[in-house]
Amino acid sequence: MKKRIRNIFISIFVVVWLCAFHYESIRYFYLEPVLGQRLPKIKFLFPPAGWIMFYRVDDQFAYPEIYGVIKGAPQVIDPHDIIRTRFIGFDNIRRGILGAALSGYRRQDFCRYMHRNFPVFDDFYVTAVNIPSVTKAPYDRQQIPVYQCGGK
Amino acid sequence: MGKLWERLFLAERPSIGMAFFRIAVAVSTGTYLIPTFFSLDRTYLSTAFKTYNPSFFTTDALALVQKSPDGLVVFAVWLFCLAWFCFLIGLFSQLSCILMTFCCYYFYALNNFAMGTLTWDILMVTLVLMCVTPYHGDYFSVDCLRRGDREAYRRARPFFQQRLFQLQIAFIYFYTGLYKITAEGNWLTDKPLYYLMNYPVQGVTKNFLLKDFLAGQPQLCYWIGVLIVAVELAMPFLLFNPRTRRSGIYLGFLFHILLILTLDVPAIFFFLFPAQLLLFIDPEDVIRWVADKRDNNRRSRRMKIIYDGHCRFCQASVKQLEIMDLFGALEMVDFHSADDLKQLHPQLTKELAHSQLHAIDWDGELTGGFFAFRRCCLLLPMLYLLLPIVYFPGAALLGPVIYKAIAKNRYLFHGNRACKDNVCYR
Repeated sequence: MKKRIRNIFISIFVVVWLCAFHYESIRYFYLEPVLGQRLPKIKFLFPPAGWIMFYRVDDQFAYPEIYGVIKGAPQVIDPHDIIRTRFIGFDNIRRGILGAALSGYRRQDFCRYMHRNFPVFDDFYVTAVNIPSVTKAPYDRQQIPVYQCGGK
Repeated sequence: MGKLWERLFLAERPSIGMAFFRIAVAVSTGTYLIPTFFSLDRTYLSTAFKTYNPSFFTTDALALVQKSPDGLVVFAVWLFCLAWFCFLIGLFSQLSCILMTFCCYYFYALNNFAMGTLTWDILMVTLVLMCVTPYHGDYFSVDCLRRGDREAYRRARPFFQQRLFQLQIAFIYFYTGLYKITAEGNWLTDKPLYYLMNYPVQGVTKNFLLKDFLAGQPQLCYWIGVLIVAVELAMPFLLFNPRTRRSGIYLGFLFHILLILTLDVPAIFFFLFPAQLLLFIDPEDVIRWVADKRDNNRRSRRMKIIYDGHCRFCQASVKQLEIMDLFGALEMVDFHSADDLKQLHPQLTKELAHSQLHAIDWDGELTGGFFAFRRCCLLLPMLYLLLPIVYFPGAALLGPVIYKAIAKNRYLFHGNRACKDNVCYR
């Protein structure tokens, strides 16, 4: 009897888990376009749009470049100095983590963070470097100013 | 249908695979999260730059976590470290898993910028599923020593958890391949690998040996990409078909080794996924393999452990060694019950045997105390974690001193009333 109840619980759990897993795997890119509406995401579990590791890689490449200004002269700050978290076996900077700084929505927080951690600089420029084609023109860098932090 | 369901999820099978997987999950979680603790002011404290993940968390949960004072963050760091270590060694496995997972959620909600990646989301799914049962604590754990179960290594449990992990990894491969050729994926219509090979130094591609060569081979890159997608799509079929399972596991290993060598991907790819592939090995096969090794060892000369059977601490220690002795490589001998110790080893006397634990190797070499324990570490998989410590330079000097102190006071352990003043020690 005890075993039977246990098996019922396990079976319910397995069915719920598998449904949730496959629902979240196909919700964003398959179910929503077919049904033509936003579907609820299961909170606290699963990534936002399924298992999309490297699913789309384009010829275009962009990355943030951040400058500190001393006495009017800007100089590039190594992004590794900005984050300063050394992961084991990989480099988070090269995974584009600093892209979050480009969002104007985070501007105030990021500037405050930069002023606190780099008091030697008077100001900061946040720029985005865009390479339209890494294969055809890898050195054609288009640098776009995103925002300036302003003085301390 | 009912029988198939029973066979797939409900049938009881040895949980030794889950026990091994627990260690891989602990290593993956630790290698990912612990580095972020070395610069708390830039990762989780109020001074850090933070971003949030509203698609994963509810806004209420995010708002609540953001109210955390720095003291609570530091407390959570210590709580995580404690829970993580307990989970790694399998002490209160399920409870430590739940606590560790809770801390992971907390840090994720606190700052998505410091740790949020797609692979972290995969790890979270794995952690939640690990919390469901204590099966992963059945072996390779302090829990199995606490329970004193000599048959712990072949303890049978409902298979559903291991099966769900199998399905998880197989379908993550499948969906990853599917996204690459449908949705907005461009692996059939374009040359994504070729672009990756040409990424500048700020990109995700490592400077590996063949990068420059591949950067000039668009067609080759395209077909390698197609091959990768084909393998990813085929993985569920390869892994669930008994005939191709071994090839599927080898392919998965190769895939992850290549991934870690060529791209800046989190170490989870290296520690978690290959271990998850090993969950496809039938646990009955593992137990049969262990049983064969035990039979072989029983037939050949085993290392003899000479211990004091009148000391309860020694009896308990020997019992724990027996539990850890997965391959039956040790033969326990209570020197009180041995007719003639000289027959065991010419140098062995009652006084010597009484002073500390001894080991007699296959080739007749006698070692005692710390050095006997060190020999055991080489034979017992559960003690492999101690190998870097017991063979650390200087351990041969410090180890015997610590061991002697424990051996000298062994009658005081386990509340032996007759020996409360340690009078039994000679």
